[in-house]
Amino acid sequence: MENQTFYYDNKIVKNFAYATLFWGVVGMVVGLLLALQFIWPSLSFGIPYTTFGRIRPIHTNAIIFAFVGNGMFTGIYYSLQRLCKARMFNDLLSKINFWGWQLIIVSAALTFIFGITTGKEYAELEWPIDILVAVIWIVFGANMIGTIIKRRTSHIYVAIWFYIATFVTIAVLHVTNSLAIPVGLFKSYPIYAGVQDALVQWWYGHNAVAFFLTTPFLGLMYYFLPKAANRPIYSYKLSIVHFWALIFLYIWAGPHHLLYSALPNWAQSLGVVFSVMLIAPSWGGMVNGLLTLRGAWDRVREDPVLKFMVVAVTAYGMSTFEGPMMSTKTVNAISHFTDWTVGHAHIGALGWNGFLTFAVLYYLIPRIFQTQLFSKKMANLHFWIGTLGIIFYAVPLYWGAITQASMWKEFNEAGFLKYPNFLETVTQLKPMYAARAVGGALYITGIVLGIYNLVMTVKAGKFLPEEAASAPALVKTEAKRGSGEGIHRWLERRPVQFTIIALLVVLIGGLIEIVPLYLIKTNIPTIASVKPYTPLELQGRDIYVREGCYTCHSQQVRPFRSETERYGEYAKAGEYVYDHPFQWGSKRNGPDLSREGVVGGRQYRPNSWHFNHMENPQRLNEQSIMPVYKWLITDDLDISTTAKKIRVMQTLGVPYPAGYDQIANDELMIQARGIADDLRSQGIQVEPTKEIIAMIAYLQRLGKDVHAAGSPTAAITGK
Amino acid sequence: MEMNKNKTVEKDELTGDVLLSGHESDNIRELDNSLPKWWVWLFIITIVWSVGYIFIYDVIEAAPYQQDEWKNEMAAAGSNASGQTVLAADSTLVALADEASLAAGKEIWLKQCKVCHLEGGQGLVGPNLTDNFSIYGCKYFNVVNIIIVGAPEKGMISWKTQLADNQIKQVASFIMTLQGTTPPNPKAPQGEPCK
Repeated sequence: MENQTFYYDNKIVKNFAYATLFWGVVGMVVGLLLALQFIWPSLSFGIPYTTFGRIRPIHTNAIIFAFVGNGMFTGIYYSLQRLCKARMFNDLLSKINFWGWQLIIVSAALTFIFGITTGKEYAELEWPIDILVAVIWIVFGANMIGTIIKRRTSHIYVAIWFYIATFVTIAVLHVTNSLAIPVGLFKSYPIYAGVQDALVQWWYGHNAVAFFLTTPFLGLMYYFLPKAANRPIYSYKLSIVHFWALIFLYIWAGPHHLLYSALPNWAQSLGVVFSVMLIAPSWGGMVNGLLTLRGAWDRVREDPVLKFMVVAVTAYGMSTFEGPMMSTKTVNAISHFTDWTVGHAHIGALGWNGFLTFAVLYYLIPRIFQTQLFSKKMANLHFWIGTLGIIFYAVPLYWGAITQASMWKEFNEAGFLKYPNFLETVTQLKPMYAARAVGGALYITGIVLGIYNLVMTVKAGKFLPEEAASAPALVKTEAKRGSGEGIHRWLERRPVQFTIIALLVVLIGGLIEIVPLYLIKTNIPTIASVKPYTPLELQGRDIYVREGCYTCHSQQVRPFRSETERYGEYAKAGEYVYDHPFQWGSKRNGPDLSREGVVGGRQYRPNSWHFNHMENPQRLNEQSIMPVYKWLITDDLDISTTAKKIRVMQTLGVPYPAGYDQIANDELMIQARGIADDLRSQGIQVEPTKEIIAMIAYLQRLGKDVHAAGSPTAAITGK
Repeated sequence: MEMNKNKTVEKDELTGDVLLSGHESDNIRELDNSLPKWWVWLFIITIVWSVGYIFIYDVIEAAPYQQDEWKNEMAAAGSNASGQTVLAADSTLVALADEASLAAGKEIWLKQCKVCHLEGGQGLVGPNLTDNFSIYGCKYFNVVNIIIVGAPEKGMISWKTQLADNQIKQVASFIMTLQGTTPPNPKAPQGEPCK
């Protein structure tokens, strides 16, 4: 048959590669700043734009969507063309994908700096950017599916299966989790509240890890590892079994982020078992990767690309074993809310994603620049510094996590918490935080070396924007399965059917978990004393969301003696029914706040304390790592939005009386004056119109309603 | 694969494993190896474990749910569970004076009290404890009493669930030693002059 000549688009690959490096440095430097703020809280510089709660989402989003995202596109655009023996479907779509994605990243960084956020972890983007993400993602998907359809190969290779699963699942997750009603251009409330919001959010959050950080990178591994090693894939059968098992099981595992929370027990159980069942399917990828290297281990010693891959795949294996362990209730009771989670996430991000990204870049940059890597020695140095960086990053955090969890749980002989002051358990970790920052700095040093190496490679080489290739055209084949053709082999030449089946497989778990929470009312036992927030509290809550308080403070007391003794009543599903969005948090750098407003409770603080604490936390305790929030005292609360916010809440089913939006600001001012008067009686002069007043009002509301119900801990035993 | 019957089976040079014919994507070949046995067993064991877990927790409900776990934990702690003090603040109480008790009291002060009364007791959110004025009485037993019962409406929480009897005595005794000291930036007097 006659060969057709065509050209691979290397320019789009180059663009994505450069963006990967650029955003990688940005994301990691912000991460280092965050790490240093644990040691020197004054590094928040006393301004909102550099304060932990605002820049933490910049770090996480930059690493996930900018660094890993661009890295993923780099690898997919390179490998997909070669696996399909075809140029990308449409150059314009490629360009829109590239520039649209960079626009999203810039918009994300800017909006987060200015406190424009939904307050949902890894989904902090507000609705206009969410829409842009959906559009660009569909552009990417269309371009990919288009390329697959016009391929010159008979079957689609396992790497492409993973790319397809990535596309369809992320689309579903992103849209479902982002559903919200706008209050304005930069503010919206999610349609879900409380427990439902938590479940949808972590269904999304967990599967962002699964289908943004895992499946595309497994796809990249399946292409670049055998290419770099020049070895056949160990087992095609394993590829099939672990691919389908992985995408089917992953989607169920989200509730493991909500163990011991107010989520119904049955949903928690599903989160536990589906996480445990994920061990083998996850390890299938590691096994297929490592066993592909059989017979080529001597080359691993020589080739930095393979070295990076081996550590990446090993890190993947480690964290996919660790993850299920953390999803068991026994381990989760210790690991949750501590730095264990952070250590775990970074084994994945630095080891699996970071190292595989650099393996891919070290592989393809010399090729598209028609040269050799500038310095193998420097790449090896990068490898060793990076590996050391990962160890220095993670080990102190694991150590610190176990230390802190033990301190949280320890009682003295008299039956009192041994460390009733939360801060003590943070101060104890300072050396670990310092070591972690050193680890992060080492890793970044490696990245800088890597970038220098790649820049020198680019300089030495000559870029090949259009790479000629040739292959015979795809012969039309019988749509029906041939005799002796396996079902899967048939499916591999029917990419559209493949895509639809993959979509159905991932939809099953999501539907079974989320739909019942809407249909069955008993899943969320109501509590009569729980009332909607007052207008001032609602505004205060939005400031709480804006400042990213949830990045350090949970609002979810777990049913442990050590927590009910420290904070008060454990969390009930019914207390969160008006929380759009939920603010349970996932990490306690400071104490839980959900019982902060219970007068006479263990956590109660008077208004004047909150004022002093926001103004200068270190004045109250010099060990505190809480950043200052001076601007809340000087900035006026924007009450022009109150009426609209009330109306949107009404639309969402929050039972404010009809017409309440019209009098909301009057009520707001009455409550604000009350707080300002109380502060004045304590010698603090502040206008009732300032943001701090709303913030204090919100904090003083937390937990009040559920405690007003008497002792619901004894009364409510809903399952 | 049955197709291979009449063909020569192609093998990987280095491992001798069978290469699948027709499986070639950008020169990547695939081997016809079976699933590793240990991997299959691992998968089966996790599935069996999971079925058992759901059966025990959610079908026959034989294992405690988290609410029951909490009740069991509280029951196990018994009378210690909420650590309620039995100390009664009567006027016959005498402040502790030994070095060890005062040192222990200071430690509690630095952890729990400083955050409102500041390190030297000069007061900020809470009142100045060094001057000759007091809202709830200047005597040792008055101090013990306010620590036990608190003044929640003013922000002073009750410490009876967080401090043991001897700890309350220790920190109250330490507070008595603050009276008459002159830390910087004292808060203006509140309450009545001490008699």
